Amino acid sequence: MKTRSPSAMRAARQKPRAVSSRRDFFGRVSDGLHGAALATLFGQDLLSPRSAAAATGARSVYDLTVREPHFEPKAKSVIQFFMNGGPSQVDLFDPKPALAKYEGQPPGRDLANDIEFINEAGGFMPSPYSFAKHGQSGMEVSEILPHLSEQVDDIAFIRSMYTTHFNHEPAIFIMQGGRQFSNRPTIGSWIVYGLGSENQNLPAYVVLDDPKGLPVNHLQNWQAGWLPPVYQGTRVRSEGAPLLNLNPAEEYPSPVLDLARSLLARMDRSHRDARPAQPELEARLMNYELAARMQMEASDALDVSQESESTRDMYGLNDERTSSYGKRCLMARRLVERGVRLVQIYIEGQIWDNHSDLDKSLRYACGKTDQPISALIRDLKQTGLFEQTLLVWGGEFGRLPLAQSRESGVAGRDHGPTGFTAWLAGAGVKGGTIHGATDEIGYRAVENRVSVHDLHATILHQLGMNHRELVYSHDGRDERLTDEFPARVVREVLKS
Amino acid sequence: MHVDPHLLTGRFVPIRSVVAAVLSLVSGGLAAQAPSAPLFETEIAPILEERCVACHGEDSPQAGLDVSSKQSLLAGGVSGPALIPSAPLESLVLQKTASGAMPMGGQKLTPGEIDLIRHWIESGALSRSDDEVSAVAGRADHANPREVLVTTLYVKCLLCHGRRRQEGGLDLRTREAALKGGVSGPAIVPGEPDRSLLIRRIVAEEMPPEEHQARLSYRPVTSDELDSLRRWISQGAHWDDETPANVDPAADPKVASEDREFWAFQSPTRPTLPSVNDRSRVRQPIDQFLLAKLEERDLTFAPVAERLALMRRAYFDVTGLPPSPEEVESYLADNRPDAYERLVVRLLESDRYGEHWGRRWLDAAGYADSEGQVDFDAVRPHAWRYRDWVIRALNADKPYDEFLMEQIAGDEMSDFKAASQPLDDEDSDRLVATGFLRMGPDGTYSVSQGFVAERMTVVADQLQILTSTVMGLTVACARCHDHKYDPIPTRDYYRMSAILRSSYDPYDWLSPNEADIGPDADWNESNSRLLPGAPRSEVGEAAQYNEPIEAEANRIAAELAALPATLRKKLLDEKVPGLPNEVLVPAGKLLTDAAVEQLADAPVEDSELDPAEVSKANALLDSFVKTKQRLRTRPLVRALFDMGGEPTPVHILYRGEHRSPGPPVAPGVLSVLSDGLEPYDLQPLPWSSGRRLALAKWLVQPNHPLTARVMVNRVWQHYFSRGIVQTVGNFGRTGSPPSHPELLDWLAVEFVERGWSLKSLHRLILTSTAYRQSSRSDGARQQRDLDNVLLSRFPMRRLDADAIRDSVLKASQRLDLEPFGPADEIEVMPDGEVVVKDTERGQRRSIFVQQRRSKPVTLLESFDAPQLKPNCLQRTKSTVASQALQMMNSEMLRANSRYLAGRVIDYVGDDATSQVERVYLTALSRPPSVEERTSGASTLAKMRDAWRRELDERTPMEPKRMKADWLALATFCHTVLNSAEFLYVD
Repeated sequence: MKTRSPSAMRAARQKPRAVSSRRDFFGRVSDGLHGAALATLFGQDLLSPRSAAAATGARSVYDLTVREPHFEPKAKSVIQFFMNGGPSQVDLFDPKPALAKYEGQPPGRDLANDIEFINEAGGFMPSPYSFAKHGQSGMEVSEILPHLSEQVDDIAFIRSMYTTHFNHEPAIFIMQGGRQFSNRPTIGSWIVYGLGSENQNLPAYVVLDDPKGLPVNHLQNWQAGWLPPVYQGTRVRSEGAPLLNLNPAEEYPSPVLDLARSLLARMDRSHRDARPAQPELEARLMNYELAARMQMEASDALDVSQESESTRDMYGLNDERTSSYGKRCLMARRLVERGVRLVQIYIEGQIWDNHSDLDKSLRYACGKTDQPISALIRDLKQTGLFEQTLLVWGGEFGRLPLAQSRESGVAGRDHGPTGFTAWLAGAGVKGGTIHGATDEIGYRAVENRVSVHDLHATILHQLGMNHRELVYSHDGRDERLTDEFPARVVREVLKS
Repeated sequence: MHVDPHLLTGRFVPIRSVVAAVLSLVSGGLAAQAPSAPLFETEIAPILEERCVACHGEDSPQAGLDVSSKQSLLAGGVSGPALIPSAPLESLVLQKTASGAMPMGGQKLTPGEIDLIRHWIESGALSRSDDEVSAVAGRADHANPREVLVTTLYVKCLLCHGRRRQEGGLDLRTREAALKGGVSGPAIVPGEPDRSLLIRRIVAEEMPPEEHQARLSYRPVTSDELDSLRRWISQGAHWDDETPANVDPAADPKVASEDREFWAFQSPTRPTLPSVNDRSRVRQPIDQFLLAKLEERDLTFAPVAERLALMRRAYFDVTGLPPSPEEVESYLADNRPDAYERLVVRLLESDRYGEHWGRRWLDAAGYADSEGQVDFDAVRPHAWRYRDWVIRALNADKPYDEFLMEQIAGDEMSDFKAASQPLDDEDSDRLVATGFLRMGPDGTYSVSQGFVAERMTVVADQLQILTSTVMGLTVACARCHDHKYDPIPTRDYYRMSAILRSSYDPYDWLSPNEADIGPDADWNESNSRLLPGAPRSEVGEAAQYNEPIEAEANRIAAELAALPATLRKKLLDEKVPGLPNEVLVPAGKLLTDAAVEQLADAPVEDSELDPAEVSKANALLDSFVKTKQRLRTRPLVRALFDMGGEPTPVHILYRGEHRSPGPPVAPGVLSVLSDGLEPYDLQPLPWSSGRRLALAKWLVQPNHPLTARVMVNRVWQHYFSRGIVQTVGNFGRTGSPPSHPELLDWLAVEFVERGWSLKSLHRLILTSTAYRQSSRSDGARQQRDLDNVLLSRFPMRRLDADAIRDSVLKASQRLDLEPFGPADEIEVMPDGEVVVKDTERGQRRSIFVQQRRSKPVTLLESFDAPQLKPNCLQRTKSTVASQALQMMNSEMLRANSRYLAGRVIDYVGDDATSQVERVYLTALSRPPSVEERTSGASTLAKMRDAWRRELDERTPMEPKRMKADWLALATFCHTVLNSAEFLYVD
């Protein structure tokens, strides 16, 4: 039998063009073994868990090669603006003038069931902001989002999102993984599990987190859960070394490095040669080849200094307020341009968690993100990527129409899971659409309610995948992102 | 877009005006909604008629379900109600059709039809006969007593009027007690809701008390619940009179007798040894089973491994550490024929054995030093006692049946509550052992994640840990539905859950942790899972240590309390809120008195205070905090124990939803496991319910089909990389069948007959030919045994995360072998890397490092240390480049390489060849070959030159030549620590 192990076959298939053999790599690549092992990044699990595959009868190899979608996709890539904290729908996208009628009135027993900080709950609180109609569609947007207001005709608002838990951690698990359990794969890992990546030299699923702080649930926001680890998101830092331990604190002098590298190559090669038919050892060696290719491509992809001054300005890179988020938005464009499947952009912990001093904290969050997001939409349109990139904006829930304080002046709003806004734009999305509605006070989604599973199904649909068919066998059960929930694609916000 | 009036109705609004508001808003709202809402008869019935009624009609209700009317949908079938108005996602009729699970075999419903059903349910699941009011409520007129009790009374009342407390003398657990009432009179007057205090207190918003809602995780009774309560009282306030059904395995409709015939549900019997051709390769009966299969494929075992390779393998497999150079040399010098057998005995006697194998059991138990689940991820300061118990038990070779018994029911084995405190060592040990069932993730100390749903998940996680680890079954699926592939009905899941509910009552919950529940939290011993049960010696020692510090703290406290009220208020406003949790509460209490409370809310103006006094007060508070922090934590035990009293009834929960209760169940085990076994025999004890003790006794029956098989299989897996049953946590139908069923049974029977001795099992494996063979493969082996299922050679493998870190430390002589006690601290570096803090003695083994669920040590994480959500029976082995980055660039590896170089120079001096030899012996546990020695020395010489040239251009503090030679050797060591040979075991 001439069959080679799956890993070895994959090794052969993935053999890089630029570096024709292992020996070449160790002999030739000059930028150093030590700095080079960027491969992880890229989460190539070169030795996939073959045992698991055999047990489930599923794929024999788990990797990131391109896979066919279920049907013709609208989107090639997704950029997700994850707004951890719970942005306030009634202050941003869902104007509720009727709140004025009830101002100061305390909530009743049913609403009280959805209040996290129940002992701090104050009365109903109208939004301090004015809303105006924008674009041809005349969609209303709050005055504190002046840039995004210019783009409403490209955006579809879903005003009737709802979820089932009022605290961050569970609600984030639901938003990322479909259920309140902490061990499930996130939507990002499902996507790259389903589709692989167009670019083998970059991670398929990039996470651009804020140097000022991780979101709640930290690394679990991009975990692969019980999917193979190769599908987890790769955290790429936008400041400093993009990857942990990419470089040592102090590198060896290059002649020393060369000697170390060739010693290691010699040791590992003779170790491998003495142990034929051990795919793990091949995989280990291959890491270094991949690393070299990736290091070059990733450094290039993340280098925003290559952009023109006007582009940098458009993203707000020259303004202290917007530069951090703007840089990540710009990196996102450069990554999807190179075939990265999914980029998630996070911002500063829970910046949208406006429990107190609503005006100050909400203006801060909007100020940091409004211009960059708007610039990204414009830029994607200029470069023609808009039609193949799906943009998703939203948090894990919204906020209550109540004041979270029994005193006036400094009140914020508590978490509101029963009705909130998310928006979609880009590939196949019908811009200028408003879907669904909350009740008169902006508390509960009442018309065309959209569950988190509906949103997930819609995102997968735009990528050419049917949420019912994207399955992974785990513990003897066919698992899905949408589980057994009766999710529906929100076709009303799609062009066809 | 109307507003539901119950959202708006304010607190304490007189009831009449509420009704007026309701009417005014409802009329408009309904009128607007009515025309578009679909009706059962016109829109829904035709779909169901065409697609479903053939199997779920009145005449042939498959699974008890008839879908021909709204009433019959509401009544549902064996899986519970098929329709829950206004709750589409929870309605089975939608779930099953939308997921494509139904119609079974037939044409699926179209997206349009599914949308329509969804819309119908969402808008209240109206039928023609529904009047408008009941449509809004979305419920039939009849109040289901079980639903009222389980979803409202249990959740919102029993905490104060139930098992452990009867506030105001009121107990709401039984009808008799509720009718009798408490000090204010009867709580319920059947037939008269408005005269029932229960209703009146709820309507007046006095109950459940607002002031406790936030910290005890409950919320007001909703208007729907209130309506149901009223209806239920009107209809007589009947209690759920169904009693738990008796499950008789001989006549169980849920489990057929052929289900019991599946191999894993039948007791193992000792098989006869198969015959083999080559008797010379048989050292243990194990070998005979393996060889027989190999010979069928014309294969045999690989030759015996090279001597030092076998030695290194045994060291890692038994102790998780490599041998020291001295151990290598003395083993090489041992020419006795049984040198290897002697080595095995020595290794199994080493204390390192319990540490290494303890790690595996702790993975299976979901052990961590923090709670997980919540972002805050509170530390579990007392969990380590359980970790130490496991290590000690393994080192002492505690028989596995006792090992299990103490972990499952140690608290029920004797009356620890009656024993005098502090406990003697045996009682204390057993209490500590029950930590096994307290180790899963648990965020319920957080008041916003401590609701019944999350509590249920904690119980479910513990049950999953218990069943996967001890029974090797995926019972967890049956939480929501009858197991699709294994004969495990939901009923049996909840029967097993009921075994734990005497200690984990979701309706009367104990907080797992005192962290993060806020300064006003009601955390005290009666509400805690931590028990004062540490052994006598430890309690005494802590008390002695703490005594002078307590005295000092009390002295400062008195001074603080004596400060003027204005100063104290300033401290309270400005300093106290920033204090760490553990001192925040005492400091707050200490500074607050009536005088402070009388002061105005506004902050104290600085002008009112003398700056010198202010800074003195600040300093006083600082020293109070520092003194308090010096106190050693009171020795407490994170134990599982029976909460006493009659546990709240346990119901089957449809789809795992606590708001969808089904019939009640009594504690019990899986009906499918009954052939030849003594049944689960519940004997209440004077001090405890006895539920877990009965489970433990049932599990450790010598002929139990799973207990011994599951354990020997996991031990096997750790040696041979793959279990005889490859799916170590799933012995059911979807698991993989055993590769060597007779071998598995032989091992299981042998294990039990050798007194459940794990060390004996280890010895058996370690001395077998199968274990001693070489890992080198060849063409024939590749061809006829590709995945090495037959064990035609020893499986080469990478070290696990703990062994890698521990080996690096051992090589550099920085491994502190001090065992036990509180976990060593970790540190998050500015770039996010999580590292272990150094002490003067280096660092301890990974098992003694704090295992924080949210902050895994980066090095361990990249080499597949598990996430433990909730537990792990089989670590994954990935080969990703973050591993290379860690080994290449992390300061941990670089620093330890310099240490290693230092020790090598100390030992052999300057000679390059001797250095190379010593490095090989230390890091790779073998001397270098002649070629390796020569080329290594030559590389090292070149590295020295390169470093010397480099240092010539700088001015280091140290002598250049000395420093260059040391750095060169460090670089050489670092390279060796990166080699495949270091990371892999032959």
